Amino acid sequence: MSAYVLPVLVILLIVVCVVKKVKVYDCFLDGARDSLTLIKTVFPYIATIFIGVELFAASGLSSMLANLMSKPLSYLGIPKEITELILLVPLSGNGTIALLEKIIAECGVDSYPARCAACIAGGTETVFYISAVYFSSSKTKKLRYAIPVSLFCTLLGTVVACLLCRAM
Amino acid sequence: MNVAFTLIALASLVTLTIVSPETAFSTMITGVKNAILLMLKLAAIYTVWLGVLKMMKETRIDKALSRLLRPLVKRLFKKERDECYDWISVNLASNMLGMGGAATPAGIKAIGSMQQDGEKATDNMCLLIVINATSIQLIPATVISIRAAAGSANSASIFFPTLIATFISTLSGVLICKVMSLKNGKMPNKTAKYNVNITKTHRLKPFFAKTRTKGNTI
Repeated sequence: MSAYVLPVLVILLIVVCVVKKVKVYDCFLDGARDSLTLIKTVFPYIATIFIGVELFAASGLSSMLANLMSKPLSYLGIPKEITELILLVPLSGNGTIALLEKIIAECGVDSYPARCAACIAGGTETVFYISAVYFSSSKTKKLRYAIPVSLFCTLLGTVVACLLCRAM
Repeated sequence: MNVAFTLIALASLVTLTIVSPETAFSTMITGVKNAILLMLKLAAIYTVWLGVLKMMKETRIDKALSRLLRPLVKRLFKKERDECYDWISVNLASNMLGMGGAATPAGIKAIGSMQQDGEKATDNMCLLIVINATSIQLIPATVISIRAAAGSANSASIFFPTLIATFISTLSGVLICKVMSLKNGKMPNKTAKYNVNITKTHRLKPFFAKTRTKGNTI
């Protein structure tokens, strides 16, 4: 059912374009042109973040830090299987999905840690990626409180998700 | 951003040099390689979605969407141009519907069209980042399909916990942002009021002066 939503919306949009005599071909040409400039401005930010993420994971620091954090986080009701996921969530979207699949494979899909992991993967975003990419086209250098507040609220959402998974 | 990156990169490089020095550089290059692969994918996604966004702009559907979300958007983001409100509306709407491909370019354009002075992010920019970064997606489609593929008894059972959790995280994000902007906004607001007063008296003075001289000549 949900598979129909997007294509139907686009079909409706094209129909409206035809009714209003908007040139559809030209719109897509402009879109492609815009996409090239967008990619050009966004690329340096993504490349730099990926260098950091790759180093963080390959050096084993992320799993070390996850081990360190698992104890304090367990007091918040977060199972120790998913502490590494919490570290990875703000950094990498693909990494989050990969780790979710690993947790599902190890703990079983309907186990408590796997359900928590699914809620976290579904209800969070890659904070650092969004902050870097969204600011790429403005001359802003200082992001002020944007990242700390996002990270704190993501953690808050995680704690709530784990609590709810226990209850529901 | 600079502090976070330097800390992570330095700490990781030091550990990597101790554990296996020969992999240090190849990991960084792998990172960029992954970034380029992602860029290729994103370039394709952006091309299609920017075409769709362009159609929305030409048919003025984005304006209609913007009018629909205007009460909410205008209350959250104050003192911006109309164009910026349109982009914010498209960004929020596509976020909620799970169209990440449309949300990102719209968000970038929204930030680009926001007013700013200097290199500091404004309160509105921080708010948009926080709303996007705390995720306001209504249906976590990807995760549900992963669970279904793994043979879950009830793959959609995570729907309500996820929805409530992201709602709470976004709501708390908006509240904290508003508190921060109140704290930071007090000083500039006062000076802004002063400026208005000064220009008003400046405007009044020559006006009085003119009438006076007119009265004298008559």
